[in-house]
Amino acid sequence: MHTVYSRINNVSAFLSSCLMALLAAIALSSLVFTADPKGILDVQSLNIYEGHTRRYHNRWQDVTFVNFNLTADLTPLFNWNTKQLFLYLQAEYVDAKGVKNEVVIWDRIIHKKDKANLSLNGRNKYVFRNLGKSFKGASAANYTLKYNVMPYVGLLTYGEAARTGPLAFPEKRTEVA
Amino acid sequence: MFADELKTLRRLGVRHVLLQILNFASVLATGLMMWKGLGLVCNTESPIVVVLSGSMEPAFYRGDLLFLTNPASERYHTGDITVYKIPGADIPIVHRVLETHDVVSKDKGYVSASPLAQKQLILTKGDNNPVDDIDLYQGLEWLERKHIVGKVRGFLPYIGYVTIAMNDFPQLKYALLGGLGLLALVQRE
Repeated sequence: MHTVYSRINNVSAFLSSCLMALLAAIALSSLVFTADPKGILDVQSLNIYEGHTRRYHNRWQDVTFVNFNLTADLTPLFNWNTKQLFLYLQAEYVDAKGVKNEVVIWDRIIHKKDKANLSLNGRNKYVFRNLGKSFKGASAANYTLKYNVMPYVGLLTYGEAARTGPLAFPEKRTEVA
Repeated sequence: MFADELKTLRRLGVRHVLLQILNFASVLATGLMMWKGLGLVCNTESPIVVVLSGSMEPAFYRGDLLFLTNPASERYHTGDITVYKIPGADIPIVHRVLETHDVVSKDKGYVSASPLAQKQLILTKGDNNPVDDIDLYQGLEWLERKHIVGKVRGFLPYIGYVTIAMNDFPQLKYALLGGLGLLALVQRE
């Protein structure tokens, strides 16, 4: 009845159920934190030039360059179950053919609470190009700052921290100013 | 060492061995049923996956367990973490969606009844990789819904490392399976 084997079996079963209960409690606890911080996003300039991209080496394609200003205090998103914050800036627009596009142009990973109070001037990190050759005829684009809270254990949550009004794409420039 | 066990085995007889084998089989079948049932509910072929590479560090490390769903009524959005499988590649990849393009039908006048009937072109990138995934697509230009196994919904750290250890050291796998099998045969309940 009380062999070493059965003792080991009982103790490990008990410990693993305790661990599971603890993990479940931590995962559920993050549902209590419902911070929804907002920030301010300003697109300062939009420029379109023609260029080559990595995808199509031998084809000219319009590329949009975005300069933006961002102020957001995202520290409320950090609680004891927050491992990191994935922050991304995306453009949403409909092009001349009716294709609905969402394109991430900038992102940042934030590990620590004291780095989550942001105030920065940035420009797009990823090439911002359309499916076709140019942006001609595309609708004005909304630029939104979104975040993904990644927990130590539990569910991933998403939210939106800032949004600009629709901004029209400018005319293509042929010379670098 | 095994003399005692063999003795008990002989004493218990064939019926007992058969019964234990039946028990073992029913445990396996239950496991499989739960796995497939979960897959049916989540609409994905593998509702739980283990992270095998470090391309999503520091979000996911090797051995972390991910829970996936793939609801048929939802489109993919930027920022979603997807698991996708390229035809011809043997391991699925866990990467974040960087671009989505909802293409409209070329046939003028036709409107798809559901937004999901619309084709969606997707580009992904690993958080820890400097560039997007075009080079991983093996000649495909974009990912589409059919390549995607699921969206990551939940996360449990490290637990999956057992399977990685078993893959890296196959002896461990055989030792574990053999030990369990022997225990199941010898145990009497």
